[in-house]
Amino acid sequence: MIAAALLLAAALGQEAHQPAHDPSPAATEHAAATDHAAPADHGAAAGAHEEGHGPSDVLMHHVTDQPFAPFGIHLGNSKHLIFFVIAALLVILLAQLARRGYRAGGVPTGLAAAMETMVVFVRDEIAEKNIGHDGRRFTPLLLSFFFFILVAALFGLLPFSATSTGNLAVTLALATVSFFAGQWAGIRNFGVVHHFTGLVPPGMPMWLLPIMIPVEILGLFSKPFALMIRLFANMLAGHMVITALLLLIPLMARITPVAGIAMAPVSIGLALFIMILEVLVAFIQAYIFTLLTSIFIGMYAHPAH
Amino acid sequence: MDPKAMAYLGAGIGAGLTIIGGAAGIGRLAGAALEGIARQPNAAGDIRGAMIVAAGLIEGVTFFALIVTILLAIK
Repeated sequence: MIAAALLLAAALGQEAHQPAHDPSPAATEHAAATDHAAPADHGAAAGAHEEGHGPSDVLMHHVTDQPFAPFGIHLGNSKHLIFFVIAALLVILLAQLARRGYRAGGVPTGLAAAMETMVVFVRDEIAEKNIGHDGRRFTPLLLSFFFFILVAALFGLLPFSATSTGNLAVTLALATVSFFAGQWAGIRNFGVVHHFTGLVPPGMPMWLLPIMIPVEILGLFSKPFALMIRLFANMLAGHMVITALLLLIPLMARITPVAGIAMAPVSIGLALFIMILEVLVAFIQAYIFTLLTSIFIGMYAHPAH
Repeated sequence: MDPKAMAYLGAGIGAGLTIIGGAAGIGRLAGAALEGIARQPNAAGDIRGAMIVAAGLIEGVTFFALIVTILLAIK
């Protein structure tokens, strides 16, 4: 079930992703001035010979989509797409490995036990608490959101990788799936007509309807929009802060080399702190996306409360 | 004044104001939640869940503003 839901998300993501990266940025020949892996000496050297590129060019190069060619092998035009597929495959693999832990029967061990904690948390604390007794039906979808966002965000912290959820097209696809899940829940419970008339709270005076109907239509679309922007901005912001902190080294070295060397431990320490924070953010964002999706589904499935 | 310098200035001031707003919002929220938990430790789980949702919403709005400032800074 997890795999099926995830494949749907993957197909949507690729569909949404494809047109987005077609006007490929002309920033391909920028040498990667700062990577996570080689901050100090590499960064200082880059500062010396890359006078043409401002700090903002390096910053944008780090977080925008770009062609991906490890070891000289060209792997398509979109690094985000590659890491999107890798993250999705990894989630499917994790789910299958965890399932294997139950085959022997009895108490799961190892990976299956670790996964079970999170799966049960999502089922009991997120799905059933916010959607209600039929929350179990949406648990596979919520689980695939949770694990995909978590794995994609953690993947982005590895050197030479990219966070696929730091791309607006990917988060747009995730938010679209979340939007249709909510609409489907409402339509299944009440039918098409009653679902959309039920969006306006009952007992509203007649003269308020011209105001309330546009407000409710706006609310319908602003919820997935906020989901999309929140995840995108969170994933983007952490990487931007790390890059900006490491960029301080070449910027200081441009004044005097001594200042650059003095700046290196400070910058690396701060960047390390932000990276540890990013691990926390990965979990929190996966939780918040899943939680808000389940709240919206519950809102449409049982609008009375 | 050079328009580019104005843009950088605006981005810097904007980022600062954004953080003041976001920090004030989340700080009030966390303070109230802690007070609630101290008064009613049984309800800690529910309060924490509600707090995280509200913090997420505040953070989302803060990020809208931050993206505007980033766009100003990189233009």
